[in-house]
Amino acid sequence: MPTIVIASPKGGAGKSTTAVLLATELAAAGAEVTLLDCDPNRSITLWSERAPVPRRVAVLSGVTEAEIVRVIKARDQDGQIVVVDLEGVASRLVSRAISQADLVLTPMRATTLDATIGVRALALVAEEEEALGRRIPLAVVFTMTRAVRSTQHKGIEASLRTQGVDLIEPSLMERAAFSALFEFGGDLRTMPAQGRMEGAIENAREFARAVHARLVAVPA
Amino acid sequence: MSKPFSIDVGGLRSRAKDAGTDAVAKADAAGEVHGFHPREPRGRPGRKPSPRTGQVHAKVLPHVSEEIAEEAQRRGVTQGVLIEEAWALYCARQSREG
Repeated sequence: MPTIVIASPKGGAGKSTTAVLLATELAAAGAEVTLLDCDPNRSITLWSERAPVPRRVAVLSGVTEAEIVRVIKARDQDGQIVVVDLEGVASRLVSRAISQADLVLTPMRATTLDATIGVRALALVAEEEEALGRRIPLAVVFTMTRAVRSTQHKGIEASLRTQGVDLIEPSLMERAAFSALFEFGGDLRTMPAQGRMEGAIENAREFARAVHARLVAVPA
Repeated sequence: MSKPFSIDVGGLRSRAKDAGTDAVAKADAAGEVHGFHPREPRGRPGRKPSPRTGQVHAKVLPHVSEEIAEEAQRRGVTQGVLIEEAWALYCARQSREG
């Protein structure tokens, strides 16, 4: 089954939040999901310790540079989706994880700094495609967005589209429920209400649906 | 409200991806080009413990080391003196045996 690698060398871009939302929504939709926590900050592990891990989600912690390819390979089989959460640095662990990806997701806040640093992940994917002789689909998702898009956001979006970058719609909006996942654990359906939960659940579900559409669209 | 989302698990197939040593080396090289370097701490630096004595700097087994130390202290000489005497005895025996 597909391996989705959440990669950006920029810290604070929303990688772990994206990983948890994606894993829990794909699991809620019926998929078996393994979340690999490759971040020394252990964000996913901390989330998994807050509350029982949702049904059909498994968490593997502390996966290292030496293990990453073997661990992905062992789980990249029928009945599993693998979601890899990486640290926000440019490391060999990132390049190795990308080498095993069916889809690379780069979360990015709609700021010039995030875009400038995040683009390094895009360049790395292009380099690995050439080195490995296979296509590695990549998509960018804007995180912590507001209902009204700023001029900066629109400019970055237009620039990426011009360069042919696949942008996932909907973006992940700035929502209390998303950040509260790391306070309460579980998923959006089990946590105490944080703001407008229906909107948060719909946002996460439509995001997961958009990612899933890309997975099935990739030619085998 | 959007329609319920459900995944056809059968529609997601595993795809072949090269995970061999060569492929990993190519991924590493591609990463280096863009500044994606190894960042994990390497193994513990320094000399590995001796498989014979289990100690890092030991020349002899621990109980022999203790006995040499005690004898040197009793005689008021350094442990090196005892080793020199032992070496002299060894050389003498070698020359006798021939």
